[in-house]
Amino acid sequence: MNLSQIDLFAAGAAVLAVWMCGVTHVKAQLWGLALQTVMLSGICVLQGAAENQSQLFALAVVVFLVKGVGIPVFLERSAKRMDIERDKGVSISPTLTLMIGCGVLFIGYFLAPDFAVPAMMNQGSAGMALALIFIGMLLMITRRLALSQVIGFLTMENGIFLYSLTQTRHMPMLVEMGIVFEVLIGVLVAGVFIFRINRSFEHIDVTDMRRLRH
Amino acid sequence: MLLLTTIQSVNILIVPLLLVGIIRKVKALMQNRIGAPILQPFYDLAKLVRKAETISKTASWVFIWTPRVGLAVAVIAALLVPWSGVILPLEWASATNFLLVIYLLALGKFLTMLAAIDTGSAFGGLGASREATISMLVEPTLVIGIGALALGAGSTNLLTIYAARTSPFVAVLVGTALVLAALAELSRMPVDDPTTHLELTMVHEAMILEYSGRSLALIEYATALRTCVFLGLATQTLLHAWPSYQALPMLLRYPISLAGLMALGAAVAVAEGVLVKLKWRSVPNFLAFAAVMSLLAALISAAQA
Repeated sequence: MNLSQIDLFAAGAAVLAVWMCGVTHVKAQLWGLALQTVMLSGICVLQGAAENQSQLFALAVVVFLVKGVGIPVFLERSAKRMDIERDKGVSISPTLTLMIGCGVLFIGYFLAPDFAVPAMMNQGSAGMALALIFIGMLLMITRRLALSQVIGFLTMENGIFLYSLTQTRHMPMLVEMGIVFEVLIGVLVAGVFIFRINRSFEHIDVTDMRRLRH
Repeated sequence: MLLLTTIQSVNILIVPLLLVGIIRKVKALMQNRIGAPILQPFYDLAKLVRKAETISKTASWVFIWTPRVGLAVAVIAALLVPWSGVILPLEWASATNFLLVIYLLALGKFLTMLAAIDTGSAFGGLGASREATISMLVEPTLVIGIGALALGAGSTNLLTIYAARTSPFVAVLVGTALVLAALAELSRMPVDDPTTHLELTMVHEAMILEYSGRSLALIEYATALRTCVFLGLATQTLLHAWPSYQALPMLLRYPISLAGLMALGAAVAVAEGVLVKLKWRSVPNFLAFAAVMSLLAALISAAQA
């Protein structure tokens, strides 16, 4: 398989997502998320250079600043204010999650030809985007802290963004920027919500929030 | 032929204990003390061989024969595996299947575990059960990692694998996975502190707690040989990521490999000074990273084949 540079960056993002499956410190997960997003903005830059569209450079800068720096810093500050350091106890052990994440990467790799658009050259990235979406879902399902579930959601969003970036002729820039800012607002609202939940219940362990009355 | 015999003799007799001496010296320097001289392991072995042995009354032939079989297995592995960059043209070395070597070493480990339980002391059983848990995750890493290299080389013969061209990605991934697996297999930090005196924190030392005198000398020597084999394999794999390493003649590859091996040993010693021992429950998590690296390397290797 011939790996183009874009495929390499996409593979780097997917491998970082697999790494995120195995770590339990919130700070490490946020670093993984940040580096993933940096890889995606790198893909934007590469495509901008290849197609000679300056809008893609602007998109790369926006993605880097908002999703690569802004959101992780905000989540890190929330975690520090709530005094959370590690995701103590996930439903599946981190080891098993890591193995499942690796298996998901394999599935994404082998399903890539079915999901790729033949006209675009980046067949491998479709598989990596699929892997990112599945790993985001995996993180959302298996993590106990509400904050880690937000990180899983952001990983999934990264996967969808990667797919639209490499498999479609680009959407109008207004739409892309709008999506990035919507994600930012969503994370801000979620962050405030989680902070208030922590204030009321003294924890954000979702396994303890299954019933309305205790 | 004379040159190869000399190289092999140096490999078996001098390099292992020298490597152990260098690791201890670097660790001592990390801890801001002068430490024992680099040749101290030689003196230790000479001292141990002269001492008498104390054998528990409940021990059986397993206890007495394990150090000898362990040393035999370690010597076979050190002779067959191309851990020092030297590919030997021996006739019987053409049967150097990597599975054979890995499971020969596992045979030595199995006997050590049996001998640990044989003495009837509680710490032996503790060490044996912990060692079994670690092997469960280390062996797949080794087999799949070297299997990834075998996929690239098209053969399961270790000598062919390490004479063939490998892609740099696969080499770096497998090399890193091998380093992590070696840290676990040789009971180094962060899996196990080799200098601990607290039995409840021991993994490998608990199994050899009851040995003394000549048997202990055999065991220490076998451990030094195994250190060379594992760290040497990891060094070779990492060196293969450098494309022009293949083109070098053997006379150049040997000193470069030895230098790489000593450097890796020093890196292990530095890591030992910096890291803390992992909580026992977190050890499978640490080894899972190595296993996933091997799996990814196998995927890349299969995709490129």
